[in-house]
Parts: sequence; structure tokens; C-alpha cells
Amino acid sequence: MFGLDYSWLADPAYQQWLLTGVINTLKLATLSSSVAILIGMLGAFGLTLRIFWLDALIELFVEVFRNTPPLLQMLFAYFTLSSLGLRVTDPSTGLSVPLLSAFACAAISLSLFGGALAIEAFRSGIETMPRSIIDAARSLGYGRWARFWRIEAPIATRICLPALTNILTNLFKTTSQASVITVPELMYYAGQIYNDTFRTLEVMILVLLIYVVLVSILTFAMARLEAFMAFPGYGRGH
Amino acid sequence: MIAGSMLSYEGKKRAVLLLIALGVVIWIAVDAAAGGSAHWSRVLVRLPLLLTGSASGWPITGGFVLNIILSIASMALATVLGTIMGLATLARFGPIRVPSFLLMNFLRNSPWLVLLFATLYFLPFEMHVFGMTIPFPPFVKAVIGLALPTAANFSEVIRGAVQSIHSGQWEAARSLGYSTGQIYRHVIMPQALRRMIPGWTNLYALLMIATALATVTGIQDVLTILNTLLAVENERVIVYFYLTVLFLFIAYCYPIAAIARRRERAVKGESL
Repeated sequence: MFGLDYSWLADPAYQQWLLTGVINTLKLATLSSSVAILIGMLGAFGLTLRIFWLDALIELFVEVFRNTPPLLQMLFAYFTLSSLGLRVTDPSTGLSVPLLSAFACAAISLSLFGGALAIEAFRSGIETMPRSIIDAARSLGYGRWARFWRIEAPIATRICLPALTNILTNLFKTTSQASVITVPELMYYAGQIYNDTFRTLEVMILVLLIYVVLVSILTFAMARLEAFMAFPGYGRGH
Repeated sequence: MIAGSMLSYEGKKRAVLLLIALGVVIWIAVDAAAGGSAHWSRVLVRLPLLLTGSASGWPITGGFVLNIILSIASMALATVLGTIMGLATLARFGPIRVPSFLLMNFLRNSPWLVLLFATLYFLPFEMHVFGMTIPFPPFVKAVIGLALPTAANFSEVIRGAVQSIHSGQWEAARSLGYSTGQIYRHVIMPQALRRMIPGWTNLYALLMIATALATVTGIQDVLTILNTLLAVENERVIVYFYLTVLFLFIAYCYPIAAIARRRERAVKGESL
């Protein structure tokens, strides 16, 4: 169809590569998303404490990671962390090897990048929450932690779910950039396959479709979660 | 304590940030004194190359300035495409609305890097139209490849802005006898425009960050030059080069993103 040749897809070796690629992409995305959400929650909680130096540190972290290319962050982690001393001596060969694998470097930098975005999303979620609810919680005698955990977090989570969906899809899409530092995920194997078969366009179209399907599933799942978690009378719960 | 109580919370926060900036400067100075100056001088020698792509700083053949040019060209194209796509997704006519909606979601859901690669291989080296030869050098391909996802995101910004205009405006204009085109041109767009500026600015900052991906098309952007340089520099200097390029991006993108956020707050505050 359209002069595209997909006969290479019948080869079990390429099928295996694609499958491994998808699995590694999912692993990387799951790991970095989880850590990013954790960072986002901790950061947003830190901001509600109103400690000026902590506030400044968190803002610095957010701005640095938000305003630099994730690709550059990954390259930085991959090429310089080892030269900064994060090396171990391999006992079997006696050679000095980097402590962190490419996968670990990609996971760390994606987590930090996503975490910076998540802090910002959770912060604006907490900010847009009606003040009267917080005042009500205060007057009922809720302490700082209980107020965050029982009142602010559940409501803010629901308010910022759409923003969180954006961040998670963004992070998922950004995992494709890990191929540049040789993490064997989907995009990396795509390169391997078209270097083998020279069917560049066909491979790229297929990979593009796989990504779109995966991201669409994620978006759909998040929309369902949003509908499931909605408070009656709040946002989508109308 | 007295100084502390005189400063507001925001003032104290700014003071801490200033202290951190000072700390970084001191660290650089100490590092330079402790033998890092040789590294920093390597960076300084290469700085014109990183910025403009030529060792003397002129003519501009690449580097960070090329990233900026690329981002501006891409944004211009994305604004045009995004406006068309955004208005098409708002159309009442199904055969226009549904395909453009699908296209928008397809572009929004695909990774920028993969889309850039796809554009790179999808577009021919040159195209013959009516006897004219239109060449597609890597730079043009990078512009198009980055403009596609940006356009899809911008069309979402347009949709959001148009839909945020109260439906009473539509009804009032319709009862005054305006046609749909006239309503868009004279009633909705002037108001929606104000609301899309923050989103547009924010998108530009995102696009600038994404221009780092253009290194895969082989144009002499700042990352390509950085990687070429690193091949000839020793391992210790690499850190200094990376920090410099990271700083370039922050210095350019942070003010833009900050302006976008301030505008966003101003727009959010205004009621209908």
C-alpha cells in the first residue's frame, strides 16, 4: 500500500526488537513517572510549609529543569556524572567503569525533569483551591500535616489531574530521547531496524503509530481516572 | 533578626536566590583558582563557536543563534498552521472538524523526536513543483518537523481561548445579525487573542527547548557543535562545556517563561 514495504515485519528478530523496545520504553516511563510524581508531591508539600529558603531552593530546581532541554540533561548525566567521580572499579576486569548505566542516567534525568513539571502542577492545584476549605479545616483543628494529607492533597490532586495527564504524556514522549544516549528503548531499536533494512520511512511510520497508540491509551486511562475520582459538584463531577 | 523582620517573605526568598547565585560565582572563582581556570579558558575560547558556529563569531553559521533562528522560523510556521488547525477543529461542518481533530490529536500524542525523524525521512531532498525546484535542506526539515507538534499544541491553545469566551457573546452577536465569520473576526477573536498570548509565549519557550532535538537532522546547532567540540577536548573540560550550554538555554528561556506566567496571571484575573 502506497509503495510501503512492511515485509521486514515478518522477521521474528525484528518483532523481538520492537517488543523489547516497547517494554523498555514502558519500564523507563513507569519508573520516571512514579519518581516524578513523588518529587512533585514532596516539592508541593515543601512549598505549602512557607519556609523561605526551602521555597527558594524548590523554585531554583523547578526553573533549572524546566528551562533546559531534557536531551541536554540526559547527555549531561550520561557523559559527565562518570567524569565527576561516579565510577566504580569492575572487580572482574579491574577497569574503571561508570557507576550509572545509560538507563539509570535516563531514568534519573527524566525523573528530575518530570518532577520539576509536577511540582509546578501540584503547586498551582493547591493555589487554586478555595481558601474557605482550608479555613474550615483550620477551624476544625486540623494540624499542618493532617490538613495537607486529608484536605489539600485529595482536592489538589483532583484539580491538577488534567495538568498531571499533560505531564505524564509529555514525559512518556520524552523517553524517546533516551535513545540518543543508547538506552535500548523503542526509538533505539527503530534505528537498529532501519539501519538493517534501509526501510527508514516504514519503520518511522510504524514507530510513530506505536507511540501515538501508547500515549492515547495513557490519555484515555487518565481521563477515566479523572471521571472516577471526580467529587460530585466539583469540576467534572458537575 | 531585625533585618529578617524588615524583609517580606518574597524579599527573603529573593535574598536566598541571590545568595545561591553569589555562591555559584564564588564556586567558579574558587574552582578557577584551584586549577579550573585552564578549563574555563578552554570554554571561553570556544564560546564564539558555541554561540554562532564560527570561531571568530562571524558569520553566523550555527550554534545557539541558529537554535534561536530555528525556533523563530518554526514558531512562525506553527502559528499559521495552528490557527488553521484550531479554527478547523471548531468548525461546525463535520467533514472538516473530525479529520482536523484527529490530526491534532495525532500530532499532540506523538513524541517530538520521532516526529522530527519522520519529517526528516518523509520529506524528499528536493521537490519539483511546476518546473520549480524547491530544495529541502536539513534546516527547512527541522523547521517543519518542530512546527508540526507546536502547531497542534497551539491549535489547542486557540480552542481553549475561543471556548473560554462566554456563550452570551455569541448569542448577543448572533441576535445583532452577525454572520459566523463576522462574529469570529469582530467579537470572539479580539477577546480570545488576549487570552492566547500567555499560551503562545509558553509554547515558544517549549519550542526553544525542543530545538535541541534538531541536532539529529545534522544542522550545526549548539548541541551538534558541543558534541564535535567534546571529541577534541579532554574529559574534565566536558563538564564545563555542558554547564555553559545549559546556562545558555536557561538564560534565554527563563525570562520568556516568566513573562508568560505573569501574563497568564493577569489574564486569569480578568473576568468577563
